[in-house]
Amino acid sequence: MPVSTMPSAQFLLVLSTLAFLAGVAPALAALRRGRWRRGRGVQLAAMLAGFALQTASIYLRGQQVGQCPMKSLPDILVFVAWSIALLYFLVGSTFRVSLLGMFTAPLLVVMHGLAFSFPGGFRPYPVKGQIIALVELHAALALVAYAAFALACVTGVMYLLQERLLKKHLIGGLFYELPPIQGLARAIQRMVMLGVVLLSASLGISFKLEGVAAGPKLAIAWGVWALYTLISIVIWRHTLSPRQTAWLAALGFVIPFISLWLVT
Amino acid sequence: MPQATEKSGRLVCLGLNYRTTPVEVREKVAFPRPSVPAALREVAALPGFDESVVLSTCNRVELYAVHHLDDCAQAHATLRDYLVRRFDLATGQAEALVTYGLDSAEAARHLFRVVSGLDSMVLGETEIFGQVKDAYKAALETGVTGRALNKLFQHAFSTGKKVRNQTSIQRGSTSVGSVAVDLAEKIHDLAECRVMLVGAGEMSRTCAQSLLSRGAKSIIVSNRNYDRAVELAAEMRGSAIKFDAWEASMHEVDVIISSTSAPHFVIHPEQIRQVMRKRRWEPLLIIDIAVPRDVDPRVNEIEGVYLYDIDALQAIADEGRRERQRQLAACEQIIEQQLEKFGLAASRE
Repeated sequence: MPVSTMPSAQFLLVLSTLAFLAGVAPALAALRRGRWRRGRGVQLAAMLAGFALQTASIYLRGQQVGQCPMKSLPDILVFVAWSIALLYFLVGSTFRVSLLGMFTAPLLVVMHGLAFSFPGGFRPYPVKGQIIALVELHAALALVAYAAFALACVTGVMYLLQERLLKKHLIGGLFYELPPIQGLARAIQRMVMLGVVLLSASLGISFKLEGVAAGPKLAIAWGVWALYTLISIVIWRHTLSPRQTAWLAALGFVIPFISLWLVT
Repeated sequence: MPQATEKSGRLVCLGLNYRTTPVEVREKVAFPRPSVPAALREVAALPGFDESVVLSTCNRVELYAVHHLDDCAQAHATLRDYLVRRFDLATGQAEALVTYGLDSAEAARHLFRVVSGLDSMVLGETEIFGQVKDAYKAALETGVTGRALNKLFQHAFSTGKKVRNQTSIQRGSTSVGSVAVDLAEKIHDLAECRVMLVGAGEMSRTCAQSLLSRGAKSIIVSNRNYDRAVELAAEMRGSAIKFDAWEASMHEVDVIISSTSAPHFVIHPEQIRQVMRKRRWEPLLIIDIAVPRDVDPRVNEIEGVYLYDIDALQAIADEGRRERQRQLAACEQIIEQQLEKFGLAASRE
């Protein structure tokens, strides 16, 4: 669809994608030069602009479909991406914000790209029956939980990178910018726990929605919940090393990511 | 009280530093902090002079001033004579006093380089920035600065910040001690970090002191000579343990610095595997400073253990120094741009 004829929600989403993309480029260039600080302001500004445009896009899309835009796969991908960006700003102070942004922004670009890759993916859809607030809350909580799992995945990648740099004695630009591995291990733990709590709340709500939220969607959500509850227990009981846990958090996200296709 | 600087006032800097003057002479002409206000007034009251700033650190003594003399060489001579008189140097000492005299743009350029850490013994070090700020503050409070020096020092501070923010001149470690700190910081929260010294060599002591100065929580010292361990522990406000007890305490610490004189490995993979089980995967940094090495290199293969020997630390420090050298041209470029921007480069001739 040419940009000129694109509905404003999608146009804003394109702009948001470009803003996230703009955040990745200078950070990568700065890292290559070994002068990280130069990219810092641009990175944060790009993430803020991307998030603002993303929020506006979701708002307009909600107006367009007359409900919370979470009923098609492209909409779900955008909503999860928005939740990731939101959590990124919430946990940014734990990390160096711009650095987490460098790892988060590409994920957001990929998710937006996937959302756009479905032909006619952003067509309006009719409101089926009455809008039930609890159903909307159930879905929203589940998607924010998925965003927490996505950030656990990003943090896991950061941990694995820093761990490798330390083991191989590769003390250079990225080493000085990445947070301590102990802090990253704790951040993975917090993100996984947060996701499990949110998904538990979402699934808890489903008990109140007899017949409305049921079937394969719910079964898959329970599957994801079981996987991450298991990861939480493994972390809590120190059964696996932090490196193995980081691998689990990084690779584990493949399951909820694929499940988004299955539930839609 | 000096009068306000006239437009025609010229900037001058007379100084000596670690490159020009040996420490035996530098220590004779250093200004102790309480004597600085008097010195500032004395310099500003010299015939033909009005503003002054005195910078006195362990590596340099520099007098910045504004004068109205016709001849710059005369200004240098006046300041040099002041130093000789002020410190009552004998003829031989006065002859050994090698100083540099810089005027106008050269003096400004020199100050910008000093503030940016480019003239420091450790290239890019940041302590000098604070020292120059203190020197300027003392001059400001004494009332011996005017328009010229106020503007010059403000420009110097903004240039120093620019150099640090736009280049990586201060990044990376340039000494074994600072490498140890960087590594510990990237593994643990230093405030929670417990350190153990196995052996009490000079290098391990330096590393431990670097860690403590950056906020490490506690230190345990173990040495074959227990009295030496107690002495070192007292110096670093830590605790000493007998040499046969260090193995049992290994799981309680986050950083082990080993520097025994044993001719064989004293830390083996099997020991560390047991330690890691007790630590429940909490990471462990081992710094092996001993030659011959104390720690079996296979220890680095254990998950959660990060082993660095003296060669690895030295290589990182060398790379840090090289990286700072590579940044030098970019720093000099920023300084030239700033001199141009503030109209200081033009006053060179």
